[in-house]
Amino acid sequence: MKDLTHANLSRRSLLAAGGALLATPLLTSSAPRALTQDAGGGPIRWSLTGVSDLVSLDPAKASDQQGFTVIAMLYGGLVKLDAKLLVVPSLAESWSVSDDGLTYTFTLRDGITFSDGTPITADDVVWTFNHALDPKTGGWTGPYYFTLIDGADEMAAGTATEVSGVKKIDDATVAITIKQPSAYCLSSLSAGPSKILSKAAAADPANEGKVTSGPFMLKRWNRGQGLGLAPNPNFYEPVTGVSELNFIFNQDSETGYQLYRTGEVDILGSSQDPVPASRVPEVQDSPDFRSTPAFNTRYVAFNNTIAPFDDVTLRQALAHAVDRDTLANAVLGGTVSPTERILPAGFPASDLPITGLAFDPAAGKELLAKAGIDPATFTFTLSYGVEGDNERVVTVLQSMWQENLGIAVKLEPLELATFSSRLNDTYQDPTNGLQAYYSIWGADYPDPQNFLSTQLQTDVGNNNGHWSNADFDTLTKEADTTVEDFAKRADLYNQAEQIAVDQVGWLPLFNAKVNVLVRDCIEGIEVTGMDYQFPEWSALVGCP
Amino acid sequence: MAPFFSLSPHHPITRLPPDMLSVIVRRLVSLPFVLVSVTFLTFIIGFLAPGDPILTMMGNQRDPAVYENLRHLYGLDLPWYEQYWRYLQGLLHGDLGMSYRYAQRPVSELLSGGVAVSLSLGGVALGLSLLLGIPIGMFAAFRHNRWGERLTMAPMLALFAIPSFVLIPILQWINFHFYGRGWPSLPAAGWGTPQNWVMPVIVLAAGNLGYLSRLTRANVLDVLGQDYVRTARGKGLPESIVRTTHVLRNAMLPIVTVIGPAVAFLVTGAFVVESLFSIPGVGFLSVQAVQQRDYPVIQGTVVVLTVAVVLMNLATDLAYSLLDPRVRLDR
Repeated sequence: MKDLTHANLSRRSLLAAGGALLATPLLTSSAPRALTQDAGGGPIRWSLTGVSDLVSLDPAKASDQQGFTVIAMLYGGLVKLDAKLLVVPSLAESWSVSDDGLTYTFTLRDGITFSDGTPITADDVVWTFNHALDPKTGGWTGPYYFTLIDGADEMAAGTATEVSGVKKIDDATVAITIKQPSAYCLSSLSAGPSKILSKAAAADPANEGKVTSGPFMLKRWNRGQGLGLAPNPNFYEPVTGVSELNFIFNQDSETGYQLYRTGEVDILGSSQDPVPASRVPEVQDSPDFRSTPAFNTRYVAFNNTIAPFDDVTLRQALAHAVDRDTLANAVLGGTVSPTERILPAGFPASDLPITGLAFDPAAGKELLAKAGIDPATFTFTLSYGVEGDNERVVTVLQSMWQENLGIAVKLEPLELATFSSRLNDTYQDPTNGLQAYYSIWGADYPDPQNFLSTQLQTDVGNNNGHWSNADFDTLTKEADTTVEDFAKRADLYNQAEQIAVDQVGWLPLFNAKVNVLVRDCIEGIEVTGMDYQFPEWSALVGCP
Repeated sequence: MAPFFSLSPHHPITRLPPDMLSVIVRRLVSLPFVLVSVTFLTFIIGFLAPGDPILTMMGNQRDPAVYENLRHLYGLDLPWYEQYWRYLQGLLHGDLGMSYRYAQRPVSELLSGGVAVSLSLGGVALGLSLLLGIPIGMFAAFRHNRWGERLTMAPMLALFAIPSFVLIPILQWINFHFYGRGWPSLPAAGWGTPQNWVMPVIVLAAGNLGYLSRLTRANVLDVLGQDYVRTARGKGLPESIVRTTHVLRNAMLPIVTVIGPAVAFLVTGAFVVESLFSIPGVGFLSVQAVQQRDYPVIQGTVVVLTVAVVLMNLATDLAYSLLDPRVRLDR
């Protein structure tokens, strides 16, 4: 398809004529649009919930889940995930790994171009990574996702002017060097800001979202209302079954539901903002309704630097006193699945069993006595962010600890921004920090490293409770750098997870579900624990 | 907000005609002082409130180098007086600053669209509630203690009492059943077509309609009991003239008083309506800005609303003195 369009236009001539640049996507889309009508696929209308507008369509600046949903439609990465969440080629057709496991050499697909017809080259790839890490860009996802890459931290800190670990070999070849062998390197390159941008088009901010490397390109952005995307005819796997992809911003998931049931929306819900729980009984028998365990875990964590929470016996007593089945099924009406482990169901390495600290009030009381704690005089404060069902969950926890252990727990509701800054204070200055908090972690990419190592290794940035276990650290560090043998890695993570569960690094409570509505007549969308995946873009077909 | 600007009903009453021009000039001269005090209060409250815009943006991810870099980029590493001074300098040049959340987009750009939407939606709703509320209130007053009053005032009391977040699901439920039967129905949410206006305008107008009709009724009843009305009737004036020139005009004064603040509250009060109907107005933008600690957007909203309230109060005062020549605008 690329041959149809821009053979006669050089990049320079496009840049010279700014107006032409904007008009070009419309002109080039006319040919494939004719094909689209033959295929019979109409527009897809997709409700993005919880936002009134997007932060940015620049993958390096976006920080909202809704924004990344749209960005995944606009830009391609070197690699992507398939329906089973395994890493498969995308803009890179293949890659090789050096013997020491440190250098990944990617070969770009032959002849691929951006939506404006200019070729996608190694220069664009190198620029993309530098852009995401450049302090002047003002984003934070680059430094977070790319921390594994050699020289990324220096670039993010402003002490280097380019990322030493991302090098152009030739126009179609890029080498990425990482600090330590890592099995999750490719997985992390499928996510977040690793979407390839056009270096030339980025010179003009007006091009944001319009010159793309992915299956769609931006046609219009109605601020505060929504976005209109058209298929990118120059994509290597063009979408021909959808005439238009419209995203509609809804601040409230109930509003999205109203639009769905009056026929104005075709796709609704995400792991972050699922179909409203009160509406699930109305739709659960509909062929449009899809439900799968979400890759996130709700948990309570304790401040391990202060007494008495530094005593594992107390933490175990508290864990044994929580009846997760009642919490998930009676209190939350079965909209979540109870869990006694850290990795969510269906997540890589979650098939290996874990023995949890099951509901056992007698054992809890015994441990409490062993810890030398008198429930009549002991009390602590559980802090939480005011959002969704959190209030109900912590109230139930409070009553369970009161009833089963006789401990009176104080609840401290905090507005979300305050909660996040209190967590930060707890991390920085634990002795003056929160005693216990109710929180959530959701996967950035499907690898156990993202749940265990980034959360519970000693003093890592998300370990606000400062739980620390030397064996856990050794096992996860070994697993993080084990590359070839996934079974061995999974086993190491499993041993580490068992320690974190036994020692109550977290007190896991439940996994949410991705409850979504996708019109039955839409083909080619898979709903996974990490929201929507599109195994083959050419198989995506809208309703007639 | 109201105590700062609402018109006191106890204006000095003299026989002098109002010197409107000097009043307008004086009010406009005071506007910058009002703005400085209001922005300073907002700034210092935001500065002292718990929560950090950069931490909120970064969620659970914690990288001290990136955090410091972003704080520096947004000028949050400066002392508070310097941050505020910079803001004032920008304001003097008409620059409301850059949003933290929306990747450095200018606040003026974020607000301009939203303010226009909220004002037009609120204006139509207020107009509708005035057009319906005043006649209904008069009707009820003239049928005091008769069925006409009970039949109109009961639903008006209900409208006044039902909060918008209850009225909206009721309307949406009715709309959905229309849709299900293939009858003409309205879009459930969204913005841009005339149909999109219907439900939000009904919801926004409902509360005001209830309030204004009840206020009109009470005022008219009050005036009907005045000596001059009895005198007018005693002189043998036709009832229609008594009602329009003697009763209505005098009963209007308190209603004009509430319109000014009502306009401001239509903008700020549209939070629920805007978020449940996905309307790109200023209401949701500012609520979200508070949650995200997006201080420049919060400040921008405050500045815009302050100017709007000051100007609306000025307009109200002027209208007031036109309606009642005894009222003299002072100070």
